[in-house]
Amino acid sequence: MATIFETVQNILADKYSVAKESVTPESTLESLGLDSLDLIELMFEVEDAFNIRVPQEAGTALKAATVQDIVDNIQKLIEQGEAAPIGGSLPS
Amino acid sequence: MRRVVVTGLGVITPLGNDTDTLFSALMAGQSGVRVIAGEGPRGPFTGVGAPVQFDPAHYFPPQQRIDQIDRVSQFSLAAASMAVSDAGISFTDDNRDKAGVSMGTGMGSSLTLEETFTQLLLRDPDRVKPLTVLKVMNNASAGHIAIQYGLAGPDLTYSCACSSSSVAIGEAFRQIRHGYADVMIAGGAEAELAFGFFKSWEAMKIMAIPDRTNPSASCRPFSKNRSGLVLGEGAAVVVLEEREAAMGRGARIYAELAGYGSSNDYLHITKPSVEGQARAMTLALDDAGLTAADVDYVNAHGTATALNDVTETRAIKQLLGERAYKVPVSSTKSMHGHLLGGAGALEFVISLLAMHRRAVPPTAHLDVPDPECDLDYVPGLGRADQDLRCVMSNSFAFGGTNAVLVARQPS
Repeated sequence: MATIFETVQNILADKYSVAKESVTPESTLESLGLDSLDLIELMFEVEDAFNIRVPQEAGTALKAATVQDIVDNIQKLIEQGEAAPIGGSLPS
Repeated sequence: MRRVVVTGLGVITPLGNDTDTLFSALMAGQSGVRVIAGEGPRGPFTGVGAPVQFDPAHYFPPQQRIDQIDRVSQFSLAAASMAVSDAGISFTDDNRDKAGVSMGTGMGSSLTLEETFTQLLLRDPDRVKPLTVLKVMNNASAGHIAIQYGLAGPDLTYSCACSSSSVAIGEAFRQIRHGYADVMIAGGAEAELAFGFFKSWEAMKIMAIPDRTNPSASCRPFSKNRSGLVLGEGAAVVVLEEREAAMGRGARIYAELAGYGSSNDYLHITKPSVEGQARAMTLALDDAGLTAADVDYVNAHGTATALNDVTETRAIKQLLGERAYKVPVSSTKSMHGHLLGGAGALEFVISLLAMHRRAVPPTAHLDVPDPECDLDYVPGLGRADQDLRCVMSNSFAFGGTNAVLVARQPS
């Protein structure tokens, strides 16, 4: 099974035309050519890939993040189980 | 007064994605209308429409994130890129402050909206794609075009149903005439062949009954057996320039955009009025300093609804008097369908091509004359060797917005 890092690396390569080998734990998203909108989309892809919800504050904190920061956050969210829904959800 | 000329044309249409292919198809009376199939929530649906054959990879570099751009804006960008290269103009720090964009769309990003609500209501009520707002906002086309070419001037979007892109071009014309801009990229686009939008138009009971033996002949403007409009998709964009500047850089000039008329019926949300339509045509001619005697071709709004075609015929007669019977009037919607917010721009481009190529495109599928529609609609095939001094393109919209553009030979 792919590690969290490998999955993030694959998403970056598939969706953002980033060369896979240029993605290291130390890379910042900015250095990989991602802007603020790309980060929003990356969070969406990460949610799908790991079946988690990234809370809004975590998303904001990731703006200057390195790939390792993202991996650590994903790890934390997976351990916490399903995070609280972001914004409003429909009443069930 | 500053004069405005057209120096570039670009199209994405059900009849082809360049002006040569489009105009040849029109002259031959070919139709882009066909049976279309889509996915509804409970399985496939079929209908009659005029879709565009469009491969984004042909227009966008691989690194461009076109999944962040709705189909309607993809059409706009592709048509704009054709128009800009056709005009041979480049935008630099010397001209960008007075270069702008003006686009029209009626239904906007229909496909993304539909996908969003389908996702939210049928699959996951928790979240939608992150950049949905940026895809569905109606000014996405104009914004992307301005960014693509570095246009620092006016960035405008008009939404007035079927007149949207005629208004967008007319208002861009005024920006240049009154000195707010020297160059405007102007036009419109529509990509509304989505299930919910298709059903909404169907519910209006003004969509053509599909012709069972020949679906491509379902749209029959001015014919006694017309049964309504056929939805089409696509985009058309023109480059407008201040005349002296265009001549100064040695640009090829298709035509002078000489006049624009804008009026409202102020009667009913859908029902057209002879007076409102005739007023817009008169205003456009007055604006151009021309008279009814100068008009050599009218590209009709000609939707093939029972009401539009009779009303428009009467309005043209009111404008042109006895001369109405001598001036060719055609509805090219019979072949490319109704592009709604993109219709006015496409039909304006077709009118300019007619003047530039000295040929009048026909009204296809006009098989049964209607005594109430008794003008020369150029039935069947187009006519070559026609000297057109001045052409008029009509757009009349739900909401009552009438917009008419008048162009003449460059001088």
